Amino acid sequence: MSATITTRAGRDGAEVNPLRAGLASNRISDPANVVFFGASGDLMKRMLLPAMWNLRLEDILPADFGIVGFSRSEFSDEDFRADMRKAVDEFSRNGPAKDPLWSDFAKHISYVPGSFNDVAAFHKLREQLERNDRELGTGGNRLFYLSTPPSVFSQIVDMLEQSGLGPSANKTGWTRIIIEKPFGTDLDSARRLQADVSKVFPERQIYRIDHYLGKEPVQDIMALRFANVIFEPIWNRRYIDSVQITAAETVGVESRGGYYESSGALRDMIQNHVMNLLALVAMEPPVSSDADSIRDEKYKVLRAVRPIERARVLLDTARGQYDAGSIAGKPVPGYREEPNVRPDSNTETYAAVKLSIDNWRWADVPFYLRSGKRLARKNSEIAIRFRSIPHRLFGEAGDALDNNVLVMKIQPEEGVSLRFNAKVPGPKMHIRSVSMDFNYGTGFGVVSAPAYERLIGDAMRGDATLFTRWDAVEAAWETVMPVLDRWQNSTDESFPNYSAGSQGPPSSDRMLAADNREWRKI
Amino acid sequence: MKLESTVAASLDAIRAELARTKLSASTMNFIVWIDDDARREWVLDRTALLGEKHPSFTLVLDNTGACAGEATVTTSDRDVLSHFTVQGERVLIDVSGSPTETIIEYVSALCPNTVPTVLWWTGARVESRPTFDALLPFASRLVVDSSGGARDESTVRSLAAFARQHAEVTLRDLAWLRLRPWQDMIANFFDDPQLLSELFHIRKLHIESGSEAEALYLGGWLASRLGWKATGRDAFTDQAGNIVRFERVRRGDARRILSVCLDSDSSWYHGEVTDDPHVVSVWVQGEHARDARLYTLQAVDNASLLERAVLENDAEGLFETALRSVGTLLGG
Repeated sequence: MSATITTRAGRDGAEVNPLRAGLASNRISDPANVVFFGASGDLMKRMLLPAMWNLRLEDILPADFGIVGFSRSEFSDEDFRADMRKAVDEFSRNGPAKDPLWSDFAKHISYVPGSFNDVAAFHKLREQLERNDRELGTGGNRLFYLSTPPSVFSQIVDMLEQSGLGPSANKTGWTRIIIEKPFGTDLDSARRLQADVSKVFPERQIYRIDHYLGKEPVQDIMALRFANVIFEPIWNRRYIDSVQITAAETVGVESRGGYYESSGALRDMIQNHVMNLLALVAMEPPVSSDADSIRDEKYKVLRAVRPIERARVLLDTARGQYDAGSIAGKPVPGYREEPNVRPDSNTETYAAVKLSIDNWRWADVPFYLRSGKRLARKNSEIAIRFRSIPHRLFGEAGDALDNNVLVMKIQPEEGVSLRFNAKVPGPKMHIRSVSMDFNYGTGFGVVSAPAYERLIGDAMRGDATLFTRWDAVEAAWETVMPVLDRWQNSTDESFPNYSAGSQGPPSSDRMLAADNREWRKI
Repeated sequence: MKLESTVAASLDAIRAELARTKLSASTMNFIVWIDDDARREWVLDRTALLGEKHPSFTLVLDNTGACAGEATVTTSDRDVLSHFTVQGERVLIDVSGSPTETIIEYVSALCPNTVPTVLWWTGARVESRPTFDALLPFASRLVVDSSGGARDESTVRSLAAFARQHAEVTLRDLAWLRLRPWQDMIANFFDDPQLLSELFHIRKLHIESGSEAEALYLGGWLASRLGWKATGRDAFTDQAGNIVRFERVRRGDARRILSVCLDSDSSWYHGEVTDDPHVVSVWVQGEHARDARLYTLQAVDNASLLERAVLENDAEGLFETALRSVGTLLGG
């Protein structure tokens, strides 16, 4: 090499490709294998493989990559590839796969059949990964994605270790693991799972996925708070009256009745998705945008959430179960009539909780969280309701003044809305509430990447910002456990207590009415 | 609900239409100049898409004569509940035959000065130059497309001269932004540490493209990154004093690169568009031979290209140095 060449030394002293300087690229730099456990399942077909394909189409995947499916079903590599092509054709946001790109992509896909407790199958998986390292140049880097029932998470981790696929045995590259939610079914089981996983994987190599965090508007929450100077000074108990976080769905449990019976809305939504939103809204400004700075602040605020005392569970929570009703004019069955649901089920399909955060910023500001199925509208949002004005200037007209409300809309609309009061044109001082909406357009010819694409890509890059750290998971479980205990040990005789297509159970309205407040319309 | 109305091309009529609603959130003024019939629809389509994603006030100055003395105002209605969402306001106005002073009056009167102004100059006619000069002081960012015209070479040369004289204006060229996937592919050849040294033994750069601008920029980029100095119009000298021949062949559709080949002393690094115009096959022959791999060409001519021109900054002065390098090559 010429002595005057304009290469630059990287952090490790190695020379850096000068053509990379200033060349913004989304491509993941490390070659890698991604192993999907539960590869014959629905999530793989609907989300995960289409996500990998789209990452390939966007040239975000590294040039050297391998995709390995692992599950109990017997498939040859060819059968599995054919099945995955069908999945891409049906579910990719980029439409059906085309050759020659698909053929090129398919060369990187292989399949290993086996049970999750069969060490011999895991040895075969190791051989496949080593073959990929040799033939596809995947460099010993491995990302394991557990898209399986939670009951086998520990078993898979144990098998990885036994078969020499754990991080301590990998001398050539990195080893990471993505674990789907739910991380445990209660605090004890979450701790047991954590103990099992952490025996094999250090925390920095564990990526607990909550696909909500991959959504664009959720990431916008931090931008709104910390890229503007005007909100942060009033983002506290002095100016904010209350916060409402809503995750409402119109769908029922569909084919997931069996799973949902042992889960319910509190575990399925509040403990993870909704608590994560609370953390983003309520946390202190992080010192930097790196993963741990942000996750430190999220943990701090979750730790400050006051667990609901057993005696207050009846007052500060509400649960519901949907009855038959209609959604968009179509009749839909009640929860107890859904497949795989017990006719006397006590599982809640709606949960609402009132939480308090014991710190200087949020003392006495109630956070109302709710999530439910078969509600009037699909609507996820965070509404910040500001306090009333301290002094009324406008006489009777002023009596009608609404509080200012800032709404961060997550889905289906994405954007920000601010409600404020303005004078109605005319000789009299009539004040009316108006709403100023800001929506980032979606009709740009480029569809936003679904959350799974973003999150798998981040895990391959080693960026854990949008994944939940164990301390936050544990804090969220600690918060909901008193409610869970109470609900599990008492039958709600009012079930079913709200009609499909309604705003939820009356008990939820009563919970807010006790504080002289009311829910925003879903 | 979107409102669209056509009125006489006069300030009063346009203002009356705009007064029916007010833009609730705006990210920029986006001024677009069109005087090329052939690209009018393409430009209007991209402009509309940009306005839908980025709420903005868009003023399209149409010098093609297609609007016949009229202006079209596009905005959004307020709904009865006082909720109003405006995804951008757009005024398309016929300026054919209008003196420059009138055009400037439109801009001054309609564009709020509270947000940055981006000027997308798609002008092809030399006689439009006085209008360009008059509009330039309004713009904090200038977007052009030096590719696809009959005189790419002179366009790029004058752009290089312009950049030297107007350091205060942020300049973006769509022709440069189209190169992104090709740059990434070429860089990817040499990400392998074992091949890094090959970069410094390149002896020939061969590019086939439908327009000259992309080829020039790609050559300029490599030259600026690798320390090559222009030696005439078709060659560079590398840092060790070796000649690097720069061959450009015009073939295929405008604004598209068909193939790139870098020849080193021992290997040939190829990238070539396949039968699918969005897929490039990349392979290496010779001592460092590698099997073909496929890459997709992303965002080479869609609205997100324009979005990048409006939003992106020039990290590490990549465009600036490449443009300077091309200017030197062309003797500008």
